[in-house]
Amino acid sequence: MIFLRSIYNEVIKIALKPRSYLGIAAITALVGVILFALKSDGMSIISFVTSSFEQTLSFEGNVLNGNLVAFIILQMLIVQIPLLIALVTGDLVSGEAAMGTIRMLLTQPISRTQLLLSKFIAGGIYTLIVIIWLGFMSVIMGKLLFGSGDLMVLNSDGLVILQEADVNWRYLGGFLVAFLALFTVSSLSICLSCFTDNSIGPIVTTMSIILLFTIIGTLDVHVFDSVRPLLLTTHMASWRSFFEDPLPILDIKNSILILLIHNVLLISISIYVFNKKDITA
Amino acid sequence: MSEKIIEIKSIAKKFGLFEAVKDVSFHVNQGDVFGFLGPNGAGKSTTIRCMLSLIKPDSGSIEIFGKSIFTHRNDILARTGSIIEKPDFYKYLSAYRNLEIFSRLFRLSPSKQEIYKMLDFVGLGGREKDKFSGFSHGMKQRLGIAQTLLHNPDLIVLDEPTTGLDPQGIIDIRNLILRLKNEQHKTVILSSHNLAEIEIICNRMVIINKGVSVVEGEVNALMNHEDLVVRLEVSDKEKAKSVIRLSFPQNKITDINEFSLEISIEKSMISELNKDLVNAGIGIYSIEAKRKLEDYFIKMVNA
Repeated sequence: MIFLRSIYNEVIKIALKPRSYLGIAAITALVGVILFALKSDGMSIISFVTSSFEQTLSFEGNVLNGNLVAFIILQMLIVQIPLLIALVTGDLVSGEAAMGTIRMLLTQPISRTQLLLSKFIAGGIYTLIVIIWLGFMSVIMGKLLFGSGDLMVLNSDGLVILQEADVNWRYLGGFLVAFLALFTVSSLSICLSCFTDNSIGPIVTTMSIILLFTIIGTLDVHVFDSVRPLLLTTHMASWRSFFEDPLPILDIKNSILILLIHNVLLISISIYVFNKKDITA
Repeated sequence: MSEKIIEIKSIAKKFGLFEAVKDVSFHVNQGDVFGFLGPNGAGKSTTIRCMLSLIKPDSGSIEIFGKSIFTHRNDILARTGSIIEKPDFYKYLSAYRNLEIFSRLFRLSPSKQEIYKMLDFVGLGGREKDKFSGFSHGMKQRLGIAQTLLHNPDLIVLDEPTTGLDPQGIIDIRNLILRLKNEQHKTVILSSHNLAEIEIICNRMVIINKGVSVVEGEVNALMNHEDLVVRLEVSDKEKAKSVIRLSFPQNKITDINEFSLEISIEKSMISELNKDLVNAGIGIYSIEAKRKLEDYFIKMVNA
């Protein structure tokens, strides 16, 4: 019961913090700009991609539809979302220390483990809301503005065309994997937040780690070959696997497993550090 | 004999090489208003944090309500209210919302009416919806006290509760503590640099210095071992000194200014001193006993 109340407290604190709405506002603005650009001059962008196939394929119907628009938006924005997540979750613990509220919070009759877990859950709820909003803005708004149709995806193996009726469940799966990846970012920033009393440090460190891992992931150097499959950033792009045909189930399962292991490790480290921590702030 | 509410035995805590607390022991009885004294850096704050499980001591034991804080943390904290150093709340939330959040984790979380009543009780009636960021230091202290009392704790730990308060606020808090003791039989630990406040409010105390508990006991009993320092303002200081030297040759006399001097003397001898000076034809403009605890504290800390 007290654990549920603590989760509620943490959600309320996030909901009433002005910074929490930056993420929602940023997604709204970014998606708005992309939708406007595609509505104004989307066909010329699409023609640029399809021109190379026009000698062998003929494209009919509404190519620039809501499904394609949503895919383009996700492709462009999924890299920025971790920053928006870390901005809120990175100070869930250290922000309390910086404000001094950690003293009052930790003299309440709730165990440190429960308190910390309630922060992880609240961070997860925030991440879910951000993902749902991104889904709404990209898929729903995309379909409202551009209509529906078959989805044409260009990936490393070539052009994949997915029928309209075959797309929605793929988006659902893609968003679920994206949520798990972003929840891992949230776990990473909360974990870093347990090590410091500075509210900005964990946010900057989370972004630096993601940037570093992204660079390692994209560098075609053999020395990183064994590390690359274990990096969080490698699996942040796994949502795209849902738009391949046939579906690479093993790859998706592998990504989910690695992200779950990341979460278990990060949460365990956080609990250990937080329970050992002397509150001197 | 009163029941022991808190029993701290030989706690020690190091931060790196720095020994913040070396050997602190004391006990607090049911219904005590217990003064917690010590100069800056003496280890008071670390000791209080150890009591409330914010810091884990390296050694020693802490029992509150007969249970160890290390094994019964939640049960103990459910019966304890505290302000440590200064009350910090969420700046972006209102006074009401802050109290609501901090009270929700107690088993019997208070209703909206109870929160409003408590805010009114500490003098923040009408400011319920104002954000904490706009509060003055005194208002923050009052909100801290409201948070401390909201769940009706048996043990109240107040670390410098009157800092930043105006004179009326200080009197209000002092009266509140006395009411908590006399009417509700609460046990209060009061850490303060205001020695007059401790002397007026507390029945027992401990003095901590350099991480060690120096002295502990009943305030009155400890004070009665000590001479009073009496300041006299007289018509003829030199003549007064001669009279005092004759009547009290062992007592220390200190010049203060042209008309004033101080003498260290037993309380029972003050009337005798007064009589001798009047009989010698010396006009006495004022006779004032200086705060004893201040001197006692300085003596203990410098010992």
